[in-house]
Amino acid sequence: MAGKFIALPKGVSEESFAAAVAEFRRVLGQDAVLVTAEQLAPYIKTMMPVPDADHTPSAALLATTVEQIQQIVGICNQYKVPIWTISTGRNFGYGSAAPAERGQVVLDLKRMNRILEVDPDLCFALVEPGVTYKQLYDYIQDHRYPLWLSCPAPSAIAGPTGNTLDRGVGYTPYGEHFLFACGMEVVLATGEVLRTGMGSLPNSNTWQVFKWGYGPYLDGIFTQSNYGIVTKFGFWLMPAPPAFKPFVIQYENEDDIVEIVETIRPLRISGVIPNAVVIAHALYEAPTKAKRSDYMTGPGAIADEAVRQIMKDHKLGAWNVYAALYGTQEQIDVNWKIVTTAFSRSGKAKILTEQEAGDDPAFQYRAALMRGDMTLKEFSLYNWRGGGGSMWFAPVSQARGSETLKQMAMTKRILGKYGLDYAGEFIVGMRDMHHIVDVLYDRTDPAVVKAAYQCFDELLTEFSAEGYGTYRVNTAFMDKVAHTYGPVQRQVHKTLKKALDPNGILAPGKSGIR
Amino acid sequence: MKTIGHNAVVACIVTAGVVIGSYAATAGAAPNEGSGSGFVWKDGAEVYSKVCAYCHEAKVGPTIRGRRLDPLYIRYMVRNGNRAMPAFRAAEIDEEALTKVAEYVSKSEIDRSGGATQ
Repeated sequence: MAGKFIALPKGVSEESFAAAVAEFRRVLGQDAVLVTAEQLAPYIKTMMPVPDADHTPSAALLATTVEQIQQIVGICNQYKVPIWTISTGRNFGYGSAAPAERGQVVLDLKRMNRILEVDPDLCFALVEPGVTYKQLYDYIQDHRYPLWLSCPAPSAIAGPTGNTLDRGVGYTPYGEHFLFACGMEVVLATGEVLRTGMGSLPNSNTWQVFKWGYGPYLDGIFTQSNYGIVTKFGFWLMPAPPAFKPFVIQYENEDDIVEIVETIRPLRISGVIPNAVVIAHALYEAPTKAKRSDYMTGPGAIADEAVRQIMKDHKLGAWNVYAALYGTQEQIDVNWKIVTTAFSRSGKAKILTEQEAGDDPAFQYRAALMRGDMTLKEFSLYNWRGGGGSMWFAPVSQARGSETLKQMAMTKRILGKYGLDYAGEFIVGMRDMHHIVDVLYDRTDPAVVKAAYQCFDELLTEFSAEGYGTYRVNTAFMDKVAHTYGPVQRQVHKTLKKALDPNGILAPGKSGIR
Repeated sequence: MKTIGHNAVVACIVTAGVVIGSYAATAGAAPNEGSGSGFVWKDGAEVYSKVCAYCHEAKVGPTIRGRRLDPLYIRYMVRNGNRAMPAFRAAEIDEEALTKVAEYVSKSEIDRSGGATQ
């Protein structure tokens, strides 16, 4: 666009926005307010099948202190400028670092990256939003604390605050990250600073050890929401176990998912297998060691025969169940016997440990994730179709075999209709499963981009019609997903929004809330 | 600063580029936010090992060391990304660190074992 800025917030004139930018510069300094196309380029790149212009920010603000953020929200209220807050900005497949709507100002908290406290006795951490898992991992290593992290797959460059606030998951016994969150500091739209739970109490030293505080529990309303800006985040860390035994169990056929889930559920609920187990389809693991072009050329989804050949050539199951045992060697020995007995009943399972699979690249990165180590090997997925297109389709399923088979079949059918492959996994919670599918497509091909958009839209429509909700979605589809949860929840979200942020300056559109 | 909760950070110790706060009970005191960022990149090798290497030394992205890549090309790729490669913001790899890592990658040598050395 012609003018001083590459985009403008909705309903804000260039003159008014220029005045707001001048105020931002007064607070942050000239260099911490980015407005040129070159400066904003890294905020524009997404993996979604929509034009970059739809999510182009008008500016980015690099704040480093709570006081700066308080002043920024004051300016935003004055000029009615909306801000989209990011922490490490690594929400790949969900919108990356770009705002939900064109013209929003990105409040980038990556430089607010102090590790405020790590308590090796009580096993908790308190960090600022820009702290990455890698930064915290190195800190723990440097101090030789016997503590483990739980990370999502983009571990090294992502961070605990953003991942947990978007209710992301990891692969250790602490894999359901929000369950292990404990205490937040939040800058509200008024500029006031709220500390949740015990953090509100003068002289309290229990902010990071007791989650609930007194009265209504508030932390939840600051996740997947736009009700405040989290500036400090507390969470629990897992004590490093004396022993760790990762393993993979492979099954040959797609419909074996029924037996897998029925076998795993009681082991997971009872705690025999304590971690967030992953049941990964062959095509989720294949990119770590195979090239799609060696098995399939031309348009369309990959054929089942080609998948079978990949499995044979690269020692993969149709399903690959990655899990681990943690504890003393004696505990592991007892639980290993329970696990192997359960999985050996039908004769279909192939059970592999580090002894048999330790050199396998898929096993290596899965084992790393299950002990909270840094790896980006899962990004191999992006080489499968090439072209940089990726959306996570993330419906929730009961941990029931028949349900998982139904979801897998539905997803594969709809993806196939649009020429896309099923690269999916189920991350096993206690009673639920996050069914995570990487909708991979070539973002450089306009026809494929259009098909990917239609495919994702159809996935959401068909799944919600069956009563399946998605737990998280990219910024292009937030309104659609919010709609699937019905008008009452949406109105409650809106009521909270009006009460806490009457001018609507905080991330309008997040989770469909305005 | 107006706070609703008012737990306080009263001590900050700079250790290895990271500021660590210890929390103490000073009723009514505002959190000591300090100034500037906590983490600062030491050199190009650190940026490479802690960010780039996770893909470019792991057969996820292409090998970039030992290819005499133009530092300007590297800078462009880092800031803009390329297909699946994400773009990196100045908030995470600042201009000075980017200059250093671009130089580090550009000047790295291929060793005889097929790897690369600086």
